[in-house]
Amino acid sequence: MDDIGEIREIWRGEVGRALKSGRVVALLVLFMLFTGLALAGIGAVNYMVSKQEEQTLSNSQIDKAQLAKADEATRKRFVGLVFSNDEELTDALSAMPLLLLVVFKLATVFLPLFVALMGFDQISGEIGPRSIRFLVLRVKRSSIVMGKFVSQATLLAGLMAISTVVMVLVAKLLNSDFGWGSAFVALGKLLVAGLVSVIAYEALTTLCSALTRQSGVSLLLNVGLMFVIWFVSLISTFYRIPGADVEFGSLESLKSESYAAYLKYASVWTYNQDLLHPSATRFLSATMVHLGYGLVFLGLAHLVLRRRDI
Amino acid sequence: MTAAIELKGLSKHFGAKRAVNDVTLEVKEGDCYGLIGPNGAGKTTTFSMMCGYLFPTAGTVRVLGHDPAEPGVLKGKVGVLPQDAILPPTWPVGALLTYYGRLSNLSEPEKEARTALDRVALPETWAVPAGSLSHGMAKRVSMAQALMGAPPVVFLDEPTAGLDPKIAAAVRQIIRELKGKSTVVVSSHNLQELEELCDATAILDKGVLVTAGTVSDITGQTAEFRVQIAKGSPPLEEIRLLTGIKTAQLEAKGQVLVVHFDSSKAAPEEAITATVGLLAQRGVLILAVSRGKRLEERVLQLT
Repeated sequence: MDDIGEIREIWRGEVGRALKSGRVVALLVLFMLFTGLALAGIGAVNYMVSKQEEQTLSNSQIDKAQLAKADEATRKRFVGLVFSNDEELTDALSAMPLLLLVVFKLATVFLPLFVALMGFDQISGEIGPRSIRFLVLRVKRSSIVMGKFVSQATLLAGLMAISTVVMVLVAKLLNSDFGWGSAFVALGKLLVAGLVSVIAYEALTTLCSALTRQSGVSLLLNVGLMFVIWFVSLISTFYRIPGADVEFGSLESLKSESYAAYLKYASVWTYNQDLLHPSATRFLSATMVHLGYGLVFLGLAHLVLRRRDI
Repeated sequence: MTAAIELKGLSKHFGAKRAVNDVTLEVKEGDCYGLIGPNGAGKTTTFSMMCGYLFPTAGTVRVLGHDPAEPGVLKGKVGVLPQDAILPPTWPVGALLTYYGRLSNLSEPEKEARTALDRVALPETWAVPAGSLSHGMAKRVSMAQALMGAPPVVFLDEPTAGLDPKIAAAVRQIIRELKGKSTVVVSSHNLQELEELCDATAILDKGVLVTAGTVSDITGQTAEFRVQIAKGSPPLEEIRLLTGIKTAQLEAKGQVLVVHFDSSKAAPEEAITATVGLLAQRGVLILAVSRGKRLEERVLQLT
């Protein structure tokens, strides 16, 4: 059996076992509850704002076209605030209902945590009780790392597919002007962006799980590193790269120049929003960065497991 | 006969602790080999290095000519019953063994799994989650996974520890059946069991190899025998004059006659028959004759 065959067998076994165990169902329910709560909360706010606008419109002499224009501008500003100031991106995202965008953004913020909760013990849970000893004589350690990673990725892809379909369906139901064609396009974009965005975090979870024999420690380490990734990205947004051209009066012009701005390249989180960018170059670059981080984390996981006593 | 397993200058240190220090030994193909020693002697550490679980600090291990730490080299060639590895609790036993069979690249994994479970007399556990098994049952299932596919080398770490006498006897029978078909390495505290099962043994103490060799060499079966005296005084001087006899002395307040002989001059059966014949002629009544020391005595003497 070659390496691919070993990985395939581990994947088959692990996915089959996970689907029969309660954890995947529990996490799916948890994720759906979270999505449902976000949909309900943001949907309610959205509904109230729309009603208020309609009422204001019916009671006043304001020009409807002018109001729609102002509304569109406000919406773009909000999308820019949630995602990015990139005009091209905000224009592209404007085709999707605000509710869907905000809920998706919230979901992607919390997805790394779900990834950690789902897979923190994928390897440490085998090293601690030493059940990994039954495996290492039969398959290469690299196949264990890859097999476990692919299993987790498959389960998460399933979970994300279900929740994204629900998100889009709810958005479709609440927004009559959101047609089926647009809904399908949005579903495809969000699903691809979501799946790519978690690759690096899945690999990080695999790495943390290979580092220690105690599952609790691997979870703490995983969450800690996720915060480091977020903080590094956040700190970099407070500054602008020295010598970079900025538009006068823009948000960027208010930031002070610092080499700390380069930290954005050290965090995979920075590239998250480009996964929804209409530019193929930006999307592919962001995808490559996510894949690159994922490969680095997986490579480290392999190195760790290959050299450690089990 | 070639060596199935070779350890050369093998050491394993955990920080300042030297768990195994400069161990060199050889296990011949087809032998049943015992690893003996008190707690903390380094048996399980040595065992784990032979299986590729632990990396040696120094020295080399070769199993069937391969370094067990090399990825994938022992696939399908080695079966292991690790001492303290817990079976994944959520897997049903049958599915788990079939999964292991597939990973070992067995042609009929499910059939192999069923056969192995039958062999350890646990076919009824096929659908039972591994986490629900009793200690003894889990050990037998672990034994089953080690036997799947009839690997040429089988490592069994404490195979009968914690088992009731009937099941332990069944496990010993399985090991007996493996003799000649597979090279078996058994680690155990049950010295009577090892004496009965093993062709050769290594005695470890505080991480150091005290002695290694065939069981008969270690227990002195080819150089010593004991005669339990019921009545009478053995003629020691006359016994010493018999062909091949080197020494003869009384122990246990004159109740045991211990005779050492040179096996190159007299075969064990010749030395024993001559001595017992002389004792009978002199009217000494005998209760029993045993060759060599018990392995337990020898281990206690050496460690």
